[in-house]
Amino acid sequence: MTAALGRLVPADHFVIMAIYALLISLFFALLWRNEGRERAALFVKLFLALVVGALAVAWIMYPFPS
Amino acid sequence: MSEFASPPPIPEPVLPQPAPRSIAKALGAAVLAWIFPGLGHFFLRRPRTAILYAVIVTATFLLGLSFQGRLYTPEPGQPLTILATFAVYGAGLLNIVARLMSSNPNGSILSVTYEYGCAYLLTAGLMNLLLMLDAYDIAVGRKP
Repeated sequence: MTAALGRLVPADHFVIMAIYALLISLFFALLWRNEGRERAALFVKLFLALVVGALAVAWIMYPFPS
Repeated sequence: MSEFASPPPIPEPVLPQPAPRSIAKALGAAVLAWIFPGLGHFFLRRPRTAILYAVIVTATFLLGLSFQGRLYTPEPGQPLTILATFAVYGAGLLNIVARLMSSNPNGSILSVTYEYGCAYLLTAGLMNLLLMLDAYDIAVGRKP
């Protein structure tokens, strides 16, 4: 089953990071909010913060390879 | 009298004290939550939330395994592996079954996705530990 999952998800850094951000955002939106609309708002905020934040850090690190 | 009089003292918040029976129920919910993600919430009659938690945590754990992540065990001279082991064991039965069924519980360090796999596995365990605390808080009435 895990091998099948591994074939489903490409070994692409951005995709793996985006799936991670999606799962984390879903989890904390469910855990920290009780209303549907509030949950959706927190999910969007967390997801964007994680993905955009990671891209921003990547760009800041770009001039300093290894 | 000075115009800068000290403000009135802020009263301490009074938290409701759980009854002994609800503590037993809360501990039961926390143990069930550890055994399988969402089971504690199911026990507390929140089936919809329970299913969502089960899907999220199980998916995170299985993705971690598929990315060749490592199911940590304590290593001498490596104190951080104790914390990592605690985190992975937070996933309950998922972790135990994975260790029993996996031919390589240490993952594959040569895999491109090894580090991601470790992060996913640790996150799944920590999520489930948070779910245990959440189930406990719901059962004692600290959370609506």
